[in-house]
Amino acid sequence: MKLLAKYNRISLMVTIVVIIITGIIYYFTISFVLTEEIDKDLQAEEIEIFGHVKRDNRLPEIYRSEYLKISFTPVGRDSVKRHFTDVLVWDKSHKERELGRELISSVQVSGINYRISIIESTVETDDLIQVIFLITLGIILLLILTLMVINRLVITNLWKPFYQMLKQIKLFNLTDNSHIIELETAIDEFKDMNQEVTAMSLRVNNDYQELKSFVENASHELMTPLAVINSKLDTLVQSGELTDRQGTLIGEVYGMVSKMRKLNKSMLLLSKIENRIINEKETLDIQQRITDVINDFQELLAAKSLHLNPSLQQVEVLMNKEMLYILLNNLLGNAIRHNYVGGLILITLNQNQLVIANTGQPEQLKKDVIFQRFQKSADSDGSGLGLTLSREICEASGFNLTYTYEQSRHTFIIDFNRS
Amino acid sequence: MKLLVIEDETGLRESIRDYFTDAGNICETVSDYPAALQKINVYRYDCIILDITLPQGNGLDILQSLKQSRFPDGVLIISAKNSLDDRLQGLDLGADDYLAKPFHLSELRARVMAIVRRKSFDGNHLIVFNEIQMDILAKSVTVNQQTLKLTKKEYALLLYFVANKGKVISKNALAEHLWGDEIDLSDNFDFIYSHIKNVRKKLIDAGSKDYIQSAYGMGYKFTDG
Repeated sequence: MKLLAKYNRISLMVTIVVIIITGIIYYFTISFVLTEEIDKDLQAEEIEIFGHVKRDNRLPEIYRSEYLKISFTPVGRDSVKRHFTDVLVWDKSHKERELGRELISSVQVSGINYRISIIESTVETDDLIQVIFLITLGIILLLILTLMVINRLVITNLWKPFYQMLKQIKLFNLTDNSHIIELETAIDEFKDMNQEVTAMSLRVNNDYQELKSFVENASHELMTPLAVINSKLDTLVQSGELTDRQGTLIGEVYGMVSKMRKLNKSMLLLSKIENRIINEKETLDIQQRITDVINDFQELLAAKSLHLNPSLQQVEVLMNKEMLYILLNNLLGNAIRHNYVGGLILITLNQNQLVIANTGQPEQLKKDVIFQRFQKSADSDGSGLGLTLSREICEASGFNLTYTYEQSRHTFIIDFNRS
Repeated sequence: MKLLVIEDETGLRESIRDYFTDAGNICETVSDYPAALQKINVYRYDCIILDITLPQGNGLDILQSLKQSRFPDGVLIISAKNSLDDRLQGLDLGADDYLAKPFHLSELRARVMAIVRRKSFDGNHLIVFNEIQMDILAKSVTVNQQTLKLTKKEYALLLYFVANKGKVISKNALAEHLWGDEIDLSDNFDFIYSHIKNVRKKLIDAGSKDYIQSAYGMGYKFTDG
């Protein structure tokens, strides 16, 4: 539920309850005051009657009035308790019962007690109360409506910085190297939040960049000692006094140096792709590229007696040239390396996807981990970054790389349309 | 061939000097920016091997200074920073080639030789090694005037051998030169053996002597000695 809706609901409910209560209090107060007025009228009439009786020692004549009805009833020696009461009176002119207020009192004339009944119609008073009540209700409803509209406008406006900030936070992505910009707002709470969020994003960004550049620098720094080791090995083997056993050992060291260099290179490349540093994209003919790579690997295919079965259509994609080269080398290299002698490699290229399928170990690879860093099969001599790199390249290029195991073939599928 | 190595890493500098100093070659070395600047302003070289990150300066500035003075020296940049930007910037400034550290000395030598050949004014596009003659323009090889049918890779292999004649070249260096290093081949060098066997057979069939020797089980040596 939105804050505004929640706030409106609560404030509306509270307003309605308060209005009902005040309405009731208001109604009773007004009717009490008006009844008091009528009672005063009735009392004035009574005093007039008493005055008349005192002066003339007889009951006054009764005159008929629309709103005031006076009647005398002899009650003998019985006493009458003086009191006010609400009554219903038959109104001849309107032919209906009407509300009235009655004062019952008594007076003694020539030793006979008379019961006095003075009735005043309260129809006008009720009308008045009704009108006042309606007007008041109208004003209150108008007030609520106005308040709600103002609330909506003002609060929406007040919360604007909050929503803008929220939008920025949602869009915030470390790998984009994007920042959260501080917004202009006069409200202290938002100002505070803005400053904190902005500072936090800067901090996080800096930490992340530092970490990234640490990985990058570490990889770079390792290259120089590796270069020295490699060059020393190159110098050592020129000395001409080596046994075959020593030669084999040196060969193994060469292999490890080479592996370390590749690992470093892959790490640098990964961090570059993740930082989206590689941006230059161009339209590339994949078919041509695949043919080039196949030609390049001809000797390797032959050495393992692999059967290659390409079925390629002319397809153009928009991506970085070097990345495509690395991607194809990785995937095809894997298909050769993890194959058995006399095995099969199928390459299918059409407008939608590139499928590279190869025979190999007769069991499915773990789909969820093969693309993770440093995940490799026990018998693999690779860096463990090849498939991670491939997936990252695909993602940076807007493709999707997936793995399946079908018909005893390890199959890697690149979908050119990610959706 | 006269070379200058501008490299601050002592170990690497000495290895390069040792590898390049043989019959007919002079290899000078400097280790920092001011010394390098002094050298290039006084002497001319066939090729300068230039490290980008130097104490007291940037290798790219040396390159710029060379080009501003219109010195004809060939320049090969070696750098631990294999970033695309560095490479492009170096080549844009007029470097002839770029090699990322770490590298095999045989690879460095092949690259340097290629630069020196391109720069040579006598228009000589022929490389002669005894009875073997390589035409780098036509990319053809003849032995005793008989043209050899070599594949692209076999031609590259022979050129690499000739550039590093008399040196022991590791199988790693050969594999990386021929197939790049995107594919991990360290687990199996059999295909290199069969590859070299093919080249050797084609050479011998054409009447060449057998110059390719296996060295300590870890590499090969192309030599007539």
